[in-house]
Amino acid sequence: MLKVSEIDAGYGFLQVLWGVSLEVHEGEFVALVGPNGAGKSTTLRTIAGLIEPMAGEISINGDPIGGMPANLVIKEKGISYISESLNLFSDMSVEENLLLGAYTIRDKAQQKESLAFVYDLFHRLAERKSQLAGTLSGGERKMLAIARGIMSNPDLLLVDEPSLGLAPNLTHDVFQALLKLRDQGVTILLVEQNVNTTLHITDRGYVIEKGQIIMEGASKKLLNNKHVQAAYLGI
Amino acid sequence: MAETALKKRSPFIEFVSKATSSAGLTIIFTIIIAIVATVVAGPFTLLNAIVTGGMWALLAAGLSLVFGVMNLVNFAHGEFFMIGGLTAYYVFTPISAYLKENPSPFLTALAPFAGIIAATIVGALVGIVLEKLVFYQLRKRTKEQWVMNSFLLTVGISVIIINGVQIIWGTNYKGITSYWDAKPLEVLGVFISVDRIVVFGIAMVTMAIFWYFLQRTTTGRAIRAVSQDETGAQMVGIDLNRIQVLTLALSSALAAMAGASLLFMFPSYPTVGLKPLYIAWYVVILVGLGNVAGALVGGFIVALLQTLTGYFIGVTWDDVIPTAFVMLILLIRPSGLFGSEVKGVHEQ
Amino acid sequence: MTQNSSVKYTYEEQEPIERIKRLAKKFGISPVGLLSLVILLILPFIPPFNQEHLLRWLVGAALIAAQTIAFDFTTGYINVVNFGFAAFLGVGGYTSALLAVNFGISPWIGIFLGVIPSAVLGFLTGILTLRLRGIFAALMSWFVGLALLGLTRNLTELTRGPLGLNAPTFLETASNRPYFYIIVAMMMVTYLTLRWITNAHYGLAFRAIGQNIDAARASGINPTYYRVFNFTLQCAFAGWLGGFYAHYYGILTPALMATSHTVEVLAISYVGGRGSIWGGAFTAFPFVFLIEFLRSNLTELPGLHLILYGLLLILVMIFYPGGVAQVYDTIRDRITNRSPQNQSAAAD
Ligand SMILES: Nc1ncnc2c1ncn2[C@@H]1O[C@H](COP(=O)(O)OP(=O)(O)OP(=O)(O)O)[C@@H](O)[C@H]1O
Ligand SMILES: [Mg+2]
Repeated sequence: MLKVSEIDAGYGFLQVLWGVSLEVHEGEFVALVGPNGAGKSTTLRTIAGLIEPMAGEISINGDPIGGMPANLVIKEKGISYISESLNLFSDMSVEENLLLGAYTIRDKAQQKESLAFVYDLFHRLAERKSQLAGTLSGGERKMLAIARGIMSNPDLLLVDEPSLGLAPNLTHDVFQALLKLRDQGVTILLVEQNVNTTLHITDRGYVIEKGQIIMEGASKKLLNNKHVQAAYLGI
Repeated sequence: MAETALKKRSPFIEFVSKATSSAGLTIIFTIIIAIVATVVAGPFTLLNAIVTGGMWALLAAGLSLVFGVMNLVNFAHGEFFMIGGLTAYYVFTPISAYLKENPSPFLTALAPFAGIIAATIVGALVGIVLEKLVFYQLRKRTKEQWVMNSFLLTVGISVIIINGVQIIWGTNYKGITSYWDAKPLEVLGVFISVDRIVVFGIAMVTMAIFWYFLQRTTTGRAIRAVSQDETGAQMVGIDLNRIQVLTLALSSALAAMAGASLLFMFPSYPTVGLKPLYIAWYVVILVGLGNVAGALVGGFIVALLQTLTGYFIGVTWDDVIPTAFVMLILLIRPSGLFGSEVKGVHEQ
Repeated sequence: MTQNSSVKYTYEEQEPIERIKRLAKKFGISPVGLLSLVILLILPFIPPFNQEHLLRWLVGAALIAAQTIAFDFTTGYINVVNFGFAAFLGVGGYTSALLAVNFGISPWIGIFLGVIPSAVLGFLTGILTLRLRGIFAALMSWFVGLALLGLTRNLTELTRGPLGLNAPTFLETASNRPYFYIIVAMMMVTYLTLRWITNAHYGLAFRAIGQNIDAARASGINPTYYRVFNFTLQCAFAGWLGGFYAHYYGILTPALMATSHTVEVLAISYVGGRGSIWGGAFTAFPFVFLIEFLRSNLTELPGLHLILYGLLLILVMIFYPGGVAQVYDTIRDRITNRSPQNQSAAAD
């Protein structure tokens, strides 16, 4: 469903991505891994429409979306992006954050349905409905960001390092939640540092280094790759 | 930055800032002053402060909204006030003259609203045009040093509006003695004109609607979202351009409405906006940014300070003292009396 | 870009010419700049500029030019707009005038004494604005300016308020030519001093603070010292130039200290190019002439010249933020065929 071909992107004069291509098929759970500063987040930001690509093309189900502003990418293309820094609305309550997640859905009943769904997925959030997002714990903030991301009922979810800064048991919870979403039919592109776990739960993976995709393949295969083992798994 | 600054405070300043830290204390303090003022200077002072205070709140709410959402420090905010007064004058006076010829009590009671509503609409339109023509153009080109650069744009806009109005309509005062010719009503033993009472009502109703809009509607929520996290707002599908236009339109509409409502106190002339501008800033600094309910309290505090200074020291001093007071506040509590740190007070 | 210019030089033996070049560079003197100065100096003898009313324009332009130099020293470097700039001009002017009127102190000494209160107030404002960043520092200095203006207006026994204070002029002569040389000399002193300071390591520190105060602090620059120093010096020069204003025009009114005067200096300084020091001064001459020309020929359209200020400010901010200084840079680089990476401050 998502096809990224040969994109160059960056910040101002600084080019970060050099001809990145990748593809995510309907219902797939795909990982994008690589060292710090490789351009993983930049790739997701470009797909989400927060950065305009300098060259190349991004398309969803065949329609090009490169250069489309972020608000339209989510609204018209059903792509939801959960960023590294979460970008929560800290002075608003949990529920308000969630309702904003459903900003593109004008149907009140559908909003309610989404709300019930995410509260069911994250019980913690249901308990803390009226707490300000800024006062949540790190783990709760992560959950809120993911929950807000799926409020719009996306077809494709771009998730940037959901495990960053979380204790192992919470990381586990977050991954379980992603798997659950996958089972519901949501397509996911996941960026992770936690390469081992990621490659165990995803279907396919891409390895990006210095702004270029250097490897791609089934996750199991990547796990056995020499380079991946040496560089990311410490074997 | 805020933390390191806090640590460096002297014990005295620490004490003062603690003493002024809670909104409650401020309000109690204001009420005490208000009561003392009423006893010493007569209830008229208080009523006067309440009427103008409500309008200062409208001005301040718009100013602070625009800063929160667009990161725009609007130096031209007072010009919207002026435009509002001017529009109301040119709409109301002919209607009023016509009604003198063809009396109709019903229309006479409504005519002032025609002026005020027209002013509000014109204010909103000017805001929209400015966003599209000026701010959007800058934003499109560079976001570097946006706060300072956009501020300078508003300085340019202010100069152009002031002098444009001067060339077209001249420098003479365009005012009215009153909107409604009715007998003053007696409140608290003093007579107060119908104009003041209605204007106070307008301010309260508008502030209530404004508050409801921001807190309870989807669009209002989106506006607040943009002010808290622009990227986050884009990520949930909010169209920044639309919100920015809307915000500037709202803010200028409120300012124009204030200018129109206060036409009987502030006749419109090209530079009439300067004072409302800095008073709105005083209010914003007193209560901190992005605080609609606070703007109401702040508006009253500043208006009360003004009327008291005018009464006890002299009318010409009525901005020197509030200025000094606000400078003091800015010094000891940069985030305002109600103390919520809002993005942008300290530039990134 | 500019930062490196003074660092590049090693102090090995050099030809005398090289040494002079180096010295010139230190004070920001370039061949083009020198040529402009020479032209400026002989201008009063070249028709039509030898007519008294054009000489008057020249004096006015040089006075504005000198102010933009001082203004840019703060805005272009530490990135804080002193929005109360004109008030400091007034403080110097009033001090010198009052000393002359009440104690018979010669204007030649008075203008230097006038520097003291301006510098002290600048120092205090520097401290006052220290904890506030960017735009809030600008607001605070604006409030200081408003307070000083309010005081000047109200202390009528001292300043005669809006009636105006008559100050003795420097010279008996009715000719403007000697005044022109006085103000050009003052302008050059301002320029050389401030260029000398900004070309030394101070310039680097100022810019570092202007760009990112936290990063500057982290790299060992003491923002308190540099910001307060910068403010104090700027206000000192403003006070000095205010003294010239007083003893040239011979009358002072609070209007000199009004925000609109600051806006005028600000607009020219920005159109001239931020952070160049010379850009505003260079622009001031054609600008003031254009504006005076408009003002004297289009008397039925008062304020048109101010609209021009506003329009130019907006256009420059949006489309060409580098201003005139950048135009010069671009042309010079084209001519000397230097690659853009090597370009340094225009007047080097
Ligand atoms: N807003 C920005 N402005 C300028 N450069 C940026 C910006 N964001 C990222 N970069 C640069 O782009 C490069 C790639 O950054 P990116 O965030 O995409 O890396 P990443 O692969 O996500 O790394 P990490 O694993 O650390 O999150 C880095 O060198 C970074 O410094
Ligand atoms: Mg990243």
